[in-house]
Amino acid sequence: MTGPTPHYSALALLRARLAGGGFWRPLWTGRLLKQAYDVVVVGAGGHGLATAFHLARDHGLKVAVLEKRLVGYGNVGRNTTIVRSNYLLPENHYFYEDSLRRWETLSKDLNYNVMYSPRGVVDLALSDGDMIGAARRGNAMRLAGIDCEMMDRAALDRFCPELVASRDRRFPIFGALVQHRGGTVRHDAVAWGYARAATALGVDIIEDCEVTGLRTAAGVATGVETVKGYVQANRVLFATAGHTGMIGTMLGVTLPIETHLLQAMVTEPIKPMLNTVLVYVHPGHGETYLLQSDKGGLVMGGYLDGFPSYTREGQWSRMEDVVQGAIAMLPQAAGVKIVRQWAGINDMTMDGSPIIDRLRYDNVFLNAGWCYGGFKTIPASGAACAKLVASGTAPDLIKAYRLSRFETGHMLDERGGGPFPVRL
Amino acid sequence: MTRLTCPFCGPRELREFEFHKTLPEPGSTPYARVYERVNRLDDSLEHWQHVQGCRGWLLVRRNPSSGAVLETVILGGGAQ
Repeated sequence: MTGPTPHYSALALLRARLAGGGFWRPLWTGRLLKQAYDVVVVGAGGHGLATAFHLARDHGLKVAVLEKRLVGYGNVGRNTTIVRSNYLLPENHYFYEDSLRRWETLSKDLNYNVMYSPRGVVDLALSDGDMIGAARRGNAMRLAGIDCEMMDRAALDRFCPELVASRDRRFPIFGALVQHRGGTVRHDAVAWGYARAATALGVDIIEDCEVTGLRTAAGVATGVETVKGYVQANRVLFATAGHTGMIGTMLGVTLPIETHLLQAMVTEPIKPMLNTVLVYVHPGHGETYLLQSDKGGLVMGGYLDGFPSYTREGQWSRMEDVVQGAIAMLPQAAGVKIVRQWAGINDMTMDGSPIIDRLRYDNVFLNAGWCYGGFKTIPASGAACAKLVASGTAPDLIKAYRLSRFETGHMLDERGGGPFPVRL
Repeated sequence: MTRLTCPFCGPRELREFEFHKTLPEPGSTPYARVYERVNRLDDSLEHWQHVQGCRGWLLVRRNPSSGAVLETVILGGGAQ
């Protein structure tokens, strides 16, 4: 059942119902691999699909997306769905803010409901020092024209009553930095929405198609070897978060990337209790971010597991830290059972910021190193990365994300932690 | 992977240890030693420290795809 992708609307649904015909079609299956493309994108995750969508829509290029497993199998379906732009460094907050603005209209742009929910992101402060840090970050954001609000305990009690910020605690809550336009987006819908919209523009999405090598001639890439045969390509983009180290090995480049697991978990569904996203960084211990999904489960995650791994299993000790943080915030949720736990494989760069640049060859590009920020930047990354691939010049928004910044000393170290991804 | 065996202290829970970094390729430039990381699917050679135990530095060989620890050696060898 292939054919043109139907436009989704209440009217179209009603019309199809009255006509008695089928309306729902597969969103992206049924495409066959052609011999040659303008651009071959490796990896059908959020960034690969978004870039393919923009390459086709904004630049009119013939694009294939090759995926080793399934659309959205990796981190786009494994994150905790949070979107925000409350970053400290200018290079980061302009980029993340561009992304947040795109989330606001993405459902319309893709004609697919991605369920953007601007429920606010509350970064809790647990000490005077935290309050000063929050004010510093908040001021930097305001100077860039990004919304945020410093809340004290009383204001937090009004904004998020379930938190009971004024409750007596082992580590009392002093206040919070709140970004109201931050919130959540349904992550799977983002992958599906981009895949569907890209397919409608003629992009071929090929699943079960592992790329095994890059063919080059006279210093430029000519195509990629895949398990389904050779594909000729004028340009190649690698967007294979988690396995970028393997791409480096394939191309003979060692990258400033370490591969870590980040885990998340969800409880059984409960009645609506939490109206926002809570972020809790426990002094010297760990971090927990907590939200309630639309199905009612409490979704939570924390820090990296802390050492290289491709297992997609989380460490018990980290899970314990995350749950302890969740219970410290919402003690009333202590009896709720966790029903699922999973992990994603993350590219951690040596400054915590992404890499969008050429890789070794003039017509080979890399979109990688998303650390914790991959999901929330998908729309901005797709648009900017497509510009880079199509024109060969990086737009201003992503100029700072060049690969050479580590060598030239222009790191974007948001955390100020030096060249280690996990030091707490 | 839930435990590491410290050659000095014996098998201990993983949270007692801290991963430092993977070993650079021999002959790497100073830049590469600081910023680049070797990512291997099946055989990763790493420095760890038993921070909540003997504080000894360990050389650990692991398979990051299966989680299996292949070898643990204490560095310096002076712990005994």
